[in-house]
Amino acid sequence: MNSNAKIGVFICKCGESIEPLIDLNGLKDSIKDHADYCDILSQPCLTPGLGHIMSAISKHNLNRIIVAGCDGRIMLKKFETALEPVDILKGQVDMVNLRSHVAAVSDTSPEQKAIKSAKLIKAAIAEMEALIPTEQERTQLEGPVAIVGNGIGAFPAAQKLIKAGVDCVLSLENTDPEEIIDNLHQSYPGEREHHGRVKQMVKDVLGHEKMTIIENSRLKELIGVTGDYTMVMEESDGTEKSLNASMIIAALDAQLFPPDPEFGYDGQKVLIQPEMEIQINKKGVPKGEVVFWVSDYEYGTPEFAGLSAKSAWLMAQQIKEASPSTQIIIFYNQMMALPLSAFERGVSRKLGISWVPYDKAVRPTVQDGYITFCHLKDHVEHEISWDFLVLSPKRALRGQAQTTAKILGLIHKQTPFLTGHHAKVRPEMIGREETYIVGSARYPCDLQETLNQGRKAGNKNVEMFEKSSQLQLFVPRNVCVVDPEKCVGCGQCQELCDCGGIGVAEYPGGGIPRMVDPMVCTGGGTCAAACPYNALVLQNNSTDQREARIAALSRQLEPGEVVSLACVWGGQPAADHAYRKKLTYDPGIHILGVPCVGQIDPSVMARAFLEGAPGLILIGCDPEECHHSYGIDHTWNRVNMIKKLFSLCGIDRRRIALAHADLNKPEEFVKTANSFTSLIRALGPIEKTQANHDKFKSIYHLCKYNSRIRTLLSVALRRPGEKIYRGDQKYALAFDKDFNQALEEEYDFPESALFEENIPGKGVLYA
Amino acid sequence: MIKFKINDKEVEARTGWTVLETAKEYGIDIPTLCHHPAVAPTGSCRLCMVELKEGDWSKLVASCIYPVKEGINIYTETPKVHNVRRWILEMLLASCPASEEIRKLAEKHGVVSTRFPIHDPDQNCLICGLCQRVCEEVVGLSAIAVVDRGVHKKVGAPFLRPTDICVACGSCVTICPTGAMQEIFDTVRGKPELPLTQLA
Repeated sequence: MNSNAKIGVFICKCGESIEPLIDLNGLKDSIKDHADYCDILSQPCLTPGLGHIMSAISKHNLNRIIVAGCDGRIMLKKFETALEPVDILKGQVDMVNLRSHVAAVSDTSPEQKAIKSAKLIKAAIAEMEALIPTEQERTQLEGPVAIVGNGIGAFPAAQKLIKAGVDCVLSLENTDPEEIIDNLHQSYPGEREHHGRVKQMVKDVLGHEKMTIIENSRLKELIGVTGDYTMVMEESDGTEKSLNASMIIAALDAQLFPPDPEFGYDGQKVLIQPEMEIQINKKGVPKGEVVFWVSDYEYGTPEFAGLSAKSAWLMAQQIKEASPSTQIIIFYNQMMALPLSAFERGVSRKLGISWVPYDKAVRPTVQDGYITFCHLKDHVEHEISWDFLVLSPKRALRGQAQTTAKILGLIHKQTPFLTGHHAKVRPEMIGREETYIVGSARYPCDLQETLNQGRKAGNKNVEMFEKSSQLQLFVPRNVCVVDPEKCVGCGQCQELCDCGGIGVAEYPGGGIPRMVDPMVCTGGGTCAAACPYNALVLQNNSTDQREARIAALSRQLEPGEVVSLACVWGGQPAADHAYRKKLTYDPGIHILGVPCVGQIDPSVMARAFLEGAPGLILIGCDPEECHHSYGIDHTWNRVNMIKKLFSLCGIDRRRIALAHADLNKPEEFVKTANSFTSLIRALGPIEKTQANHDKFKSIYHLCKYNSRIRTLLSVALRRPGEKIYRGDQKYALAFDKDFNQALEEEYDFPESALFEENIPGKGVLYA
Repeated sequence: MIKFKINDKEVEARTGWTVLETAKEYGIDIPTLCHHPAVAPTGSCRLCMVELKEGDWSKLVASCIYPVKEGINIYTETPKVHNVRRWILEMLLASCPASEEIRKLAEKHGVVSTRFPIHDPDQNCLICGLCQRVCEEVVGLSAIAVVDRGVHKKVGAPFLRPTDICVACGSCVTICPTGAMQEIFDTVRGKPELPLTQLA
């Protein structure tokens, strides 16, 4: 509880959208006793209106602002930016959407709408009172940038960093420039034209006096946060050495490897492109007939056909230049677009390299010395003879690169490469990009692209260092923090969120507190809701705030009215768009916006019922569409636990529900809202007896403080490795039975009497 | 304080306010389409035109981007303003005939038909660029662009392919004055067939 909160409420007339539909004067009268200041403005969002808010802030010393007007999703940022100079930081401004959620969505009278508006505003006031705002934090970058992973992209990145005067540590398996260039064909076949240039760059970087090179050691463990990393490096003889770094760049290349034997691969006559390059340069230029088969379509990865065709084309030129008598055919699927420019086509004709497309319907068959295919012209099966058959390589993140990526926490959501970010959120919600990844492990690409990525990563790091030295590198305000006093080191949070931002505070060991990298956390908060000991808190957006808001709303609800928690990516925009489409729905639904339903702790759900709400519906995204880390899946488990508890004490399970909404399907949202409110209305109110109150109190305490149940709930949540929505259902019944039994054991009715009046948000903290 | 007149009524404004903001503060109605408080004004739809009289000469200005100035006289309902407003509405009726909002707005100003040829009877996007501006200024991304030029100009994802730059927040749908974005949105969000770096 923050007694220093001085809250200002500004109600917007919003032209014709709010004023004639809601009795604003009546609304102001019912609010003014609950807030330190309340005013009605014609347009608080325009420059004159912002001026009025600012003068009210300085006159009444306000430090929390609530604007009751329209969509916070697009307007909140303007208020946050405008009010920052007067020390109202992000989190201290909130919006209540009167226009889209109250004014136009039903045909009740302006007075009734004013009552509904007052309920929502009072709930927002309660949340603001519970807010404990944090300082504006900064990250300091001191110490070198470490480049790990052995990819060729490390060198351009290092070059940029040295040039800007940033210290740089480069970990390499091999430090001989000749060998580095010699091995380049393993990841980037055919690109010999660049070798001279790249070799010069490698030499420059390795020979630079400011460069620190670590040879022959592998990354074993990573501890720490942005600005203060400790990397444990294991040398080839098994000794461990630790290394400090402020930032990390991962230079990782995908592995190219031969296909299954069914393509006739033998490594001698039928080989893949990197092997052909060895053949050309080491064993002697092949004579006779060479067929390059761009076989990526047959591997099921047509997206890489262009890349393979380019390598084939480069190698074909090299062969032709060294040995003009060699016959070369580049053999490709008709679906592939030729990767040649008009000029290159001319060169190809001049050199006598033929490009032969084949019918996609008939897969070419490899025989000894021949390959059979269906010709596009006549649909007759033709044959091409070969002395060497060169297949496309298969591409994957494998081996050492994969291990390094895993340690750095770069592997998300089962994508084969490293393009994906674990979250799909606004850029302002993330402090920085994830560890900069350069190389073909990010997504298969050619050498040029890798070098570009390297330069870009180098430059971005330089930018961050500049920001840091100007004290401008801010930490996002809505991120998770761990209370090391409460954390027991169970690791649930680390397993659940695939942000890679949660790690151990020390190494080696097990039962030690976790820590969160605030520059990587996106503030999804399902980790915080999953913590069995409430050790993880989402700062400026905590469970306590959420509880205070839902409690304040629930206390005011009439029978037949329901609380709805709608996420900012699904439910809330769906409701906003219902207004845009001029749809109407049951006014009994009271929408509270949350950044993600995944951050709703089960105790918040229980609190709604404890305070008298007859029904609660959580409206999140569609399955697999969570913008954070499986928030919707985790909510499913939490809602179901409350349902189980309801069954246990004889309350209708249907009073709590989870719904999915797509922001572009407002009609579906209207159906959701109507169906749930009419259900709750049909069920009637929950009788306000002492027995019922005790039941809800027990449920609430069980949800909030019972670490056994919270642990059991957390371990059942979907892990990033699980591919099915709602997690693994393999032992569904067995788990359910066990979980029910545990709930029964822990749901101890008479004991709840011990918790009298110890509910947070009412002034007395639970001891 | 800057003192000037709107419709012969004395008004006061501060430096940095626009004519439109001052008018709204005093409850004077000026129709707008491409103006939204969340983003910086660009003056693309020209519906907010007002007449500015300084001494014995006058000109028409877009009030959403015209900064206030001491002693100017603004008129929002002169024949000149009405005339240009009706022309703009007629043009809008022709360019986005499917839009209910624009039809109602035109009706409010006495425009029920258009003399311009209708090229696409199903069009409801007026290419005001609000979606692009909200994506850039509020969300901080560039997932929507105005693609092509001239008569082929339209709103969509870069290269008109679904893009993973889009985080599917729906701000563009919320801000769209005609609801055209609802259809376009589904062609913007989604998984790209190829990452942008791989496009030839």
